[in-house]
Amino acid sequence: MKRTLTVLALALGLSSAAPAAAADPIKIGLLAPLTGSWASEGQEMKRNVELQTAEANARGGLLGRPVELVVEDDGGDPRTASLAAQRLTTSGVVAVIGTYGSAVTEATQNILDEAGVIQVANGSTAVRLTEKGLQHFFRTCPRDDEQGRVGASLIQKVKASRVALLHDNSAYSKGLADEIDALLKARNVNVVFFDALTPKEQDYSAILTKLKAAGPDVVFFTGYYPEAGLLLKQKRQMGWTVPFLGGDAINNPDLVKIAGKEAAQGFRFLSPPIPSDLDTPEARAYVAAYQKKYGEAPSSIYGVLAGDGFRVIARAIEATKSVKADALRDYLVGGLKDFPGYTGKISFNAKGDRVGELYRVYQVDAEGRFQLQP
Amino acid sequence: MQFFEQLVNGLAVGSIYALIALGYTMVYGVLKLINFAHGDLFTYGAYLGMTLLASLALQDRLGVGLGLLLLALMVMGLVAVIGVVLERVAYRPVRNSPRLSAVVSALGASVFLQNALMLIYGARYQVFPDLLPQTALDIFGLHVPLLRIAVVLISVAMMAVLVLFVQRTRLGAAIRATAIDPSAAQLMGIDVNRVIRLVFVIGPALGGAAGLLVGLTYGQISFTMGWIYGMKAFTAAILGGIGNIPGAMVGGLLLGVVEALGAAYLSVAWKDAIAFLVLILILIVRPSGLLGERVADKV
Amino acid sequence: MSRRLGTGYAAAAAVLLVIPLVAGPYWVDVLNNIGLYALLALSLNVILGDAGLFNMGHAAFYAVGAYTTAILNTRLGVPVLWTLPVAAVISAAFATAVARPVVHLRGDYLLVVTIGMGEIVRIALVNNVFGLTGGANGIFGIARPVLLGHRIRRPEEFYYLIWGFVAVTVLLFHRLARSRFGRALAYLREDEVAAEGSGVPTARYRLLAFAVGAAWAGMAGTLYAAKMTIISPESFGFWESVVLFLIVILGGSGSIPGVVAAAALVVGLPEVFRGFASARMLVFGAVMVVMMIFRPQGLFPSRLPRFRPADLTAAAPEERPAGAAEGAP
Repeated sequence: MKRTLTVLALALGLSSAAPAAAADPIKIGLLAPLTGSWASEGQEMKRNVELQTAEANARGGLLGRPVELVVEDDGGDPRTASLAAQRLTTSGVVAVIGTYGSAVTEATQNILDEAGVIQVANGSTAVRLTEKGLQHFFRTCPRDDEQGRVGASLIQKVKASRVALLHDNSAYSKGLADEIDALLKARNVNVVFFDALTPKEQDYSAILTKLKAAGPDVVFFTGYYPEAGLLLKQKRQMGWTVPFLGGDAINNPDLVKIAGKEAAQGFRFLSPPIPSDLDTPEARAYVAAYQKKYGEAPSSIYGVLAGDGFRVIARAIEATKSVKADALRDYLVGGLKDFPGYTGKISFNAKGDRVGELYRVYQVDAEGRFQLQP
Repeated sequence: MQFFEQLVNGLAVGSIYALIALGYTMVYGVLKLINFAHGDLFTYGAYLGMTLLASLALQDRLGVGLGLLLLALMVMGLVAVIGVVLERVAYRPVRNSPRLSAVVSALGASVFLQNALMLIYGARYQVFPDLLPQTALDIFGLHVPLLRIAVVLISVAMMAVLVLFVQRTRLGAAIRATAIDPSAAQLMGIDVNRVIRLVFVIGPALGGAAGLLVGLTYGQISFTMGWIYGMKAFTAAILGGIGNIPGAMVGGLLLGVVEALGAAYLSVAWKDAIAFLVLILILIVRPSGLLGERVADKV
Repeated sequence: MSRRLGTGYAAAAAVLLVIPLVAGPYWVDVLNNIGLYALLALSLNVILGDAGLFNMGHAAFYAVGAYTTAILNTRLGVPVLWTLPVAAVISAAFATAVARPVVHLRGDYLLVVTIGMGEIVRIALVNNVFGLTGGANGIFGIARPVLLGHRIRRPEEFYYLIWGFVAVTVLLFHRLARSRFGRALAYLREDEVAAEGSGVPTARYRLLAFAVGAAWAGMAGTLYAAKMTIISPESFGFWESVVLFLIVILGGSGSIPGVVAAAALVVGLPEVFRGFASARMLVFGAVMVVMMIFRPQGLFPSRLPRFRPADLTAAAPEERPAGAAEGAP
């Protein structure tokens, strides 16, 4: 017993005698779905932000202090996320990057806002997140109304007169479908079908048959890539050739694996540019650095958007020489203009939304690759 | 026209429900237990099939037909083994405990199996290699994929074999006897443990075969697919009369058709709710099912 | 309740009272979650533990209460705490309506029907039934509760609200167990035929059990809605019902302290073992099987109430104090 006490005392003594760290670190939080249905997005977010943190520290940190990244898992679920957000607020972070999934982010907004922590979301596109008047919330990703506009334009570009809208009843998917529906109606385009499928099922022949019976010229599916893949595959099995269009949740290489190359060919969808299409020299250098560190290129744009979130926070801290939320906020809204993010130029409006158009059209070619359309 | 197309869709999905329902109904008939883990055995069939398909490449060595047949037998065998182990570990110890213990144990086994699969394979969707021909028949203006017809035929064939087995063989008689009254069967010299093991070989094997079929047909599998298929299959079993083997087949096909037509004429978003509603209605109006249940009255 | 149990409760209450003063907001929030689950589990305990009805759709009642509060508050501006009784009544009414046609079913079948019912409720919520539930988005902007002019906002404040509610519930349910209704429930759980034969109106009491359980779950829903300020169908799925079911079984169905303890374990332990997230569920499943094999009666099994002579003489005049006078606990 006495021995243990002495050892303990020594250890305590030694640790306190250790030279005081040059300065205490600036803590930045990352809220990401490391487990759960979107684990692959969460893992990429973590990789991107960790790379950014390492690069920042290699440059001497922020304001001469090292940057410490505090990572919390939100599990892709609102309740886990709110607990994770609570933990972040007690760990002393000055800002939080995250997260993916509008419903999940929404559960954390109030907690972080009430604690006075800046939040920069990277993968939450629901419009209402920035319509609540929250002063500390920003996002580097675009909003669903922008996607809706681009979607409606695409539909008009293919000269469709009878449009079918299909969603999967999730917050994101239905929201996007509603946006497109409203825009099409305003332009007097006939929406002949508006319904939802149940995600995570296998057999969509019933709904495809029903869709076919409605006789549309084009079908816009606003759901996620697993269901999209199955739809394309089964549609081909049915011998139905009406073109399908998709939203950005379709953007995942597994789409072609699931649908098969023949079924996926010619399919078009909307998306912010995928990492391999980012064309500025800095972006290309970044992708190369990522590849070097992790052995593969980043596959999800949302991960890179998380990385850009870190960079705008870092820039705000350095520009204001402060870690106070209000100072950072004022800078992000007023001072940050056309910041050269890897995903493009970043500026924020007063609501916290990213200014500028990010959505592009992609088409799947015969080899199953995603080709950016002009 | 849409009506007939949906009818075909419904039959195809329904035959999968029927195959899985057979496992539920047999186990319930003999043990009076809802094997919540049965849906997961179905999932295991799909995953094991995928792994064996990729690693052994039997279809390349023996040709598609023979290769797939051998694959099916292997998958069924493996899932049957898992089924037997499941019975031994999670169900036999609670056989004489109150019902509630068996239910919880079954749920626990289901959670365990599902998560074991997730840990081994990862949480993402897995894809089956595209093997089967995508040809279709055009009859009476309906465009019917051959694969769908094949699924229905295979399911019906398997069920026919099972019915013959249960009705015409001695082992089958033993199963029926145990279902009616386990103690009396034991007194008549039937090894009840062996019968139960047999049931846990046949049921899971069929479930595993269904999983393989689903993987081959739809190409995409996930570790949670057992839950919804399991629930619907259980509904089908009750619809036809729990414990009643032909009932499981009728129930499965009927449920598939009702679902497809409900989706077509009501709303697709409520498709699953329709299936559950059918379950509840049947239990209120005619709990013994369409063809009558075959279980002993155990209070 | 026995004196030992009473002392146990007093000790626990003393500890719980001071925790917010020493623990940070994160752990207080974990305890808030435990408190809510304890409330829910206690409500399910009336149905599953006391009455012995296999209910695996309990999350539906929870959802009805939460959504009632959310809709009344966001659309009609009704203050949150005033919606408590409304949520209770509507949940109870819903439960009665839904359980009425099925309450006579045998164990396993009732189980499956309740699963189906739970799923139907969830699908209805997702599909924005009656245009009220907000679909998959759910409902947001629920106001904070205001108690005696004070707005309850921080985890510590919710802590006292929730655990105060738990304390009241525990006391009430102990009274309930000893009441005529409680005893009747225990009777019909143990032997339905005999109970019916003794004149206990089993069908009516079963429905009543459902109603009481649902009412309490509804109120827990109100507290949950006020705490999260946004609710969505994801929080009320099948898995929630399973977890509640398990908490009641693991705690020892019918046992009030057991259920509360089990809630603490089931909700609290995963927070302690956050590092092993994926293996966690695996262990959970294995534990379920093992518990049923080795200790099916749960952690703190309930014991049948012992009657003291005082209970009998305090009863209606026609009951005689002869017999059944077991020793004082």
